[in-house]
Amino acid sequence: MTEPAFFILTALLDAPRHGYGIVAEVAELSRGRVQLKIGSLYGVLDRLVGDGQVELDREEAWQGRLRRYYRLTERGRHALDAEAQRLAANARLASTRLRERRNPITGTPS
Amino acid sequence: MSRLEERYRFVLRLLPAAYRQEWEDDMVAAFLDSMDTGDSETTAYVTDYGRPSLSEVASIVSLAVRLRLGGADAPPRSYAWGQAVRLATLMAMLTHAVMITTSIAVTLWLSGKIAWLPAPASEWTITPPSSIWHTAWNLAGYAWLPAYIALVLGHRRVAQAVALLAVVPPAITTAVQQAGDVPLSVSSWAMLLIDVVLLLAMAAFHHGAPPVPRRPWLLALPVGVLLVPVPLFTIQATTPALRLLDWPGLSCAAVTAAMVIHLTVRVSRRPRNLPWSLALTLLAVTTLAQRTATLPDYSDQAQHTTLATIASVQAIAVLAVGVPLAVLAIRALRRLPPIPATQRPTTPTE
Repeated sequence: MTEPAFFILTALLDAPRHGYGIVAEVAELSRGRVQLKIGSLYGVLDRLVGDGQVELDREEAWQGRLRRYYRLTERGRHALDAEAQRLAANARLASTRLRERRNPITGTPS
Repeated sequence: MSRLEERYRFVLRLLPAAYRQEWEDDMVAAFLDSMDTGDSETTAYVTDYGRPSLSEVASIVSLAVRLRLGGADAPPRSYAWGQAVRLATLMAMLTHAVMITTSIAVTLWLSGKIAWLPAPASEWTITPPSSIWHTAWNLAGYAWLPAYIALVLGHRRVAQAVALLAVVPPAITTAVQQAGDVPLSVSSWAMLLIDVVLLLAMAAFHHGAPPVPRRPWLLALPVGVLLVPVPLFTIQATTPALRLLDWPGLSCAAVTAAMVIHLTVRVSRRPRNLPWSLALTLLAVTTLAQRTATLPDYSDQAQHTTLATIASVQAIAVLAVGVPLAVLAIRALRRLPPIPATQRPTTPTE
């Protein structure tokens, strides 16, 4: 799973969101590190919709335009859960190794 | 519709029509939301005079490349075009790498560094460059070799960055020379234009693209050196008449030979042939355009009638083999299902 896909699925966990809502939520979740462009967002979104991980929740009129809200499916939730566990396992592995390799002089991790 | 929306929709026309049909309005809504500054006056100004940023345009271009030149999981037509562009790019890069490798070997031979080969004739001695700066500048063209290897090994961005080193110095040299007293020549600009197209075509090696089979493409480098430039150099050294074969002419000959071989073997390997047919068609169109565009350069040469006749024969040869191949490729392409609209996100019934 790519990092943008991971953040998009995470952004949709708590509530359905429209296109720009996802962009804003991803920026906030990643503390500004992941700034999705619209082309990148829809490049990922159409794959997630195609894979059945995201689906349309509703359409709402806003300032003369139609906003589509997207929500996470059960399949998307499972995929995100699996990816989160994989990343957590990787992080645990690295942390354990870092703790084991302490600097012999200072006693701090080298 | 505001000017900003018009401009953004114009950029979105890069995307396939079926994709736009499903996603365009939503993308426009999201984009306009992203341009909302929160202050009504500023937002009104931006919607009248603003333009999509370069990074926004780049994200659309990248999406368009991914959709039109698809990877293994793309619809068949998109995948066929994607593979065709990737194969054509690899073949063009391989040609550069082969010629550069030969050029390095010839330079070493002429400067007496390859002792086991017979010494070159006295009229072939190379003139040493006037400064280290000139030497470095001339070496820039050699960057095609590492660029090709990087592309085959799957490092697309490295390949593009290295290839840029091979394109920029010759462009500056040509511009400076032609601004001075060197007569204007189409050939050098045509070759640079092709190199720039090649640089851009590397974008087809995106994340979704299948990896390049390393062994055959790496093996193609020494095989290519032994099959084309070495015999050609030897023949031209002994038969002065063949020195009339210039770079566009050599490209025509190589592409025609490749197309003939492809047409001969395609009967037995039909299913895998379409991307190769399209790739060779793309190369045939490029070489034909290069051959035609460089014809005016012959006008001030002593043997211009002979050269123009040879060039016409080369162009006819490319057309004679390229047109039937293109017809076969287009027919095969039409038999494939078109690029479908992506699954429309439908509202599920609660």
